[in-house]
Amino acid sequence: MTERGRKALLLAPAGIWLLVMLALPLLVVFVFSFGERGAAGGYVPAFTLEQYANLPARWTAFKNTLILAPLGTIAALVIAYPLAYFLAVRCSPKWRTSLLILVIVPFWTSILIRSYAWIFILGGRGLPALLESIGIDDIRLINTPFAVLVGIVYGYLPLMVFPIFVSLDKLDKRLLEASADLGSTPWRTFRQVTLPLSVPGIATGCMLVFILLMGEFLIPAILGGGKVFFVGNALVDLFLQSRNWAYGSAVAMTLVVVMLVTVSIYMKFISRLGGQREDVSLM
Amino acid sequence: MTKDNGTISKQKFMEELRRYQKGSVTRRHFLGVTGLGMATAVLGTAIPGLRPRPAFAAGDIGDRVILATWPNYHDEMNFEAFTEATGAHVQVNVFGSNEEMLAKLQAGGSGWDVFVPTNYTITTYVGEDLIIPLDTSKLPNYDAGSFEQRFSDAGSVDGQLYAVPKNWGTTGFAVNTSKLDGAPTPTTWKEFWDLTMEGYSGRTMVHDYQLTTIGNALKYFGYSFNSVDEKELADAEKLLLDAKPHLFAISSDYQPPMRNGDAWMTMCWTGDGKQMNVDMPEIAYVLGTEGGELWSDYYAIPKGAPHMDAAYALIDFLLNPEVNAKEVLAHGYPSADARTNALLPKELLEDPILYPAADLLNALEFGAAATLTDPNRAELLARFKSA
Amino acid sequence: MSVPMQTIAELRGVTKTFGNVVAAKDLNLSIGKGEFLSFLGPSGCGKTTALRMLAGFEKPTEGQVLLDGEVVNDLDAHHRPVNMVFQHYALFPHLSVFDNIAYGLRQQRPRVDKQKIATKVEQALETVRLGGFGPRRIWEMSGGQQQRVALARAIVNEPKLLLLDEPMAALDRKLRKEMQFELQNLQRQLGITFVLVTHDQEEALSMSDRICVMEGGSIVQVGSPRELYDMPRSRYVAGFVGTSNFFDATVTDSAADQITVRLASGQKVHGTPEIPIDAGQEVCVSIRPEQITLTRALPTAEIALPVTIQNRIFLGEHTEYLARNEALGDFHVLVPRQAELNEGTFNAGEQAFVSWGEGALLILEK
Ligand SMILES: Nc1ncnc2c1ncn2[C@@H]1O[C@H](COP(=O)(O)OP(=O)(O)O)[C@@H](O)[C@H]1O
Ligand SMILES: [Mg+2]
Repeated sequence: MTERGRKALLLAPAGIWLLVMLALPLLVVFVFSFGERGAAGGYVPAFTLEQYANLPARWTAFKNTLILAPLGTIAALVIAYPLAYFLAVRCSPKWRTSLLILVIVPFWTSILIRSYAWIFILGGRGLPALLESIGIDDIRLINTPFAVLVGIVYGYLPLMVFPIFVSLDKLDKRLLEASADLGSTPWRTFRQVTLPLSVPGIATGCMLVFILLMGEFLIPAILGGGKVFFVGNALVDLFLQSRNWAYGSAVAMTLVVVMLVTVSIYMKFISRLGGQREDVSLM
Repeated sequence: MTKDNGTISKQKFMEELRRYQKGSVTRRHFLGVTGLGMATAVLGTAIPGLRPRPAFAAGDIGDRVILATWPNYHDEMNFEAFTEATGAHVQVNVFGSNEEMLAKLQAGGSGWDVFVPTNYTITTYVGEDLIIPLDTSKLPNYDAGSFEQRFSDAGSVDGQLYAVPKNWGTTGFAVNTSKLDGAPTPTTWKEFWDLTMEGYSGRTMVHDYQLTTIGNALKYFGYSFNSVDEKELADAEKLLLDAKPHLFAISSDYQPPMRNGDAWMTMCWTGDGKQMNVDMPEIAYVLGTEGGELWSDYYAIPKGAPHMDAAYALIDFLLNPEVNAKEVLAHGYPSADARTNALLPKELLEDPILYPAADLLNALEFGAAATLTDPNRAELLARFKSA
Repeated sequence: MSVPMQTIAELRGVTKTFGNVVAAKDLNLSIGKGEFLSFLGPSGCGKTTALRMLAGFEKPTEGQVLLDGEVVNDLDAHHRPVNMVFQHYALFPHLSVFDNIAYGLRQQRPRVDKQKIATKVEQALETVRLGGFGPRRIWEMSGGQQQRVALARAIVNEPKLLLLDEPMAALDRKLRKEMQFELQNLQRQLGITFVLVTHDQEEALSMSDRICVMEGGSIVQVGSPRELYDMPRSRYVAGFVGTSNFFDATVTDSAADQITVRLASGQKVHGTPEIPIDAGQEVCVSIRPEQITLTRALPTAEIALPVTIQNRIFLGEHTEYLARNEALGDFHVLVPRQAELNEGTFNAGEQAFVSWGEGALLILEK
């Protein structure tokens, strides 16, 4: 067998897998998005742009998603970075493994159960009651964008911590000494060496969290009380409640396009920022 | 629960009801958000093949039967008894909404043997050819005459029986009267919505369900709960959008916030209303005098059920008045079967929440098939939520 | 050194312990301005620790580190006018060659002006013969080039002390030779004090003005390469600086300027020790391989021992023989090419004699 033939054969299963698992569903959604809703729901073949014309009816969902997904990503980054930094640089190796496990453990429980805990914490008998006892009255937290943000940060923290931890952990600590040796203060060393060298981890973490957040529906449903609506929630409604597959497909296609556009802008930005040889990897 | 089925005292009933509440996660909402009808609870305690076969198999119906139903809507002991009697395990899939069930059956390959549709969905299932006519000869416990007709006639379409009654109930609202500052308890949907936008601002919940949320908004104007009239729906939408900033949440998971005081008023189903009222008497259950929803759930068999014999066996078993009475005691929703009611305690049959006064009951409407499938109503609710 | 040097750095009774590991023990050393000093010793003997204390990465557990006459024990690394070339260079992978070299200048406050930085960096690049490589990325540079970048990055700051921790360990042999040469030239040219850490005696011998030999955390001898080679204090130093033949001996007679020892073969030999030695003491005698003469005929020297040739290795300039004496054991003998031509090559199994001239034999502490 030729080298090329052997390669093709080796890649075939992965290729078929990608085709079936990724391309095919997307194609179906693409075709459906030009169809119509059946009388009792579902999909009726047609060629119409009506579904796309209807998109403005979900503008708020897109707006919420496009505001809260980046905001959630940034908030997660702001909290995850010091944590990852501590674990990778400051923490003694003796404790590192245990602390890392502590970061992952919550991930083993379903996000649903964990988010339910926040219902209590942010609900009237949780934090607001505590605030009231120190004289800050009538604070409503649950079912607000803030609650959703808290849930997002909490739920996605490990996904942000790990890539950053990895990039900081593999950072050559002698570079920090070299920087000090050349007269740099610890803070300047962080800004000029540590931070730029952890850019791949930051980029990976942000990308991971951002992409997943664009499709999020669970956290807004649970902590937003149905009042903070993401595109994901709109999709759940369209496919499961109103069974308008055609319109749902159009919304889904739009989400995919919006995602591709934002992610490619983001990649451009990152590669300019990093300027490193190692490409920004996804995992 | 004992096998002998003597009359049960009121105290015993309350105990049973409490047991139900303690373990209660009547969370259609919960399922709605896990969504996709994937929340599946397997009640069989062991893998079927490993369980000892019963000594007396009542004909071989296979080792399992798959039931799609609502959360906390059964007595587990009854399923165990069924397994003991037939050797078939009951595998339970719980769902959040009729739309979800319909979506799953429309997509095909559900694998269900028995499911629990609500009255207004049955004609749609028949129309979509997703449901089979029932052979009453395989349901010896089904006695058409013993059911109150208004809760059983939706089971037949064009004279053909497709579904047999399970339980019925109402949709009203629950209100925490301690927050009314001495004002009288509201009695109408008009008051419900006005209170939402005034004194109870930020404290009211509406269902994440188009049928009831839009239906009860229509009631504000005195329109039919089932209206699909464009102008009337436009009025309802305006009311919903006006009320939205004042809502605590759009969610059918209303018990926890009602109980902890975050929410003061909510659209509410019979069983939930009863449960909250028992624990917190200040939470009243109100049926709006303008009317509202009356509903009835049924047992039916989807087309292509993989364990047909077991499906019939399970429905017949649950129709047994003695079994059914235990079901009612476990979940707290009324039954339309006179034979079952005869076995229930008098206090229960006189409970004003479960069995409302005739004039209130007569003002209620059954949801219509057209209401459920109306694309404009579905889209209206989605717009309201994403507004 | 003949010219008295001005001291630029000093270790005074410096001890460093990590937990219960004593990495450096009571180090006392003056480093002269402009000299090229090497720390030499096997791996783990505390060389890096000594260097890191000079750089400010480690704080002495006891004793004082002085720079320019001031105690700097508590001065952080980034405040010391000292720069280091790290073992694996530790170049910043995200910066260009230019930015790596400019790094130190850019840390200076008040800020150095851009034009000046550019000029200095270009100059440094020229100095290490990398002119025009400024815009390159680090990964585009070969190992030898990276080493020069590391060097440029350090010297551009004109440090009082340039510390080099095994800077050539990662280079292949040929490149290493070349770099040794360049480094030495550079040091002369810049006049910066170099402190080099190495476990390679050849490197230390060829480059340094002075060598500080370390063993187990302690300094065992400091001196010029010549001094260490000719007058090692101990068997350890003699073995580390060049190769030698060692034999056990007992002191039979000890006078002020001459002592007599008896070899295991019974012969008595004389010598002058570097250190006072008493009669009856067990000592060690050392003879460098190149100071041994190998002959077929019995020589007229004071002592000549019969040997059997075991092995022969041709080394170009020299031929190395392994010759065995019944009583004393194996001798390594290095025969220069000219001598070999006179005497002819010896074959394995052949009988011969080893002998040496006066003063060739060193008497050392065991
Ligand atoms: N940071 C440290 N922690 C513990 N032990 C160390 C540390 N640094 C060096 N040592 C120990 O100190 C001794 C000397 O080490 P080092 O100075 O690196 O030797 P060299 O550079 O001569 O190979 C070794 O035994 C080493 O294990
Ligand atoms: Mg070392």
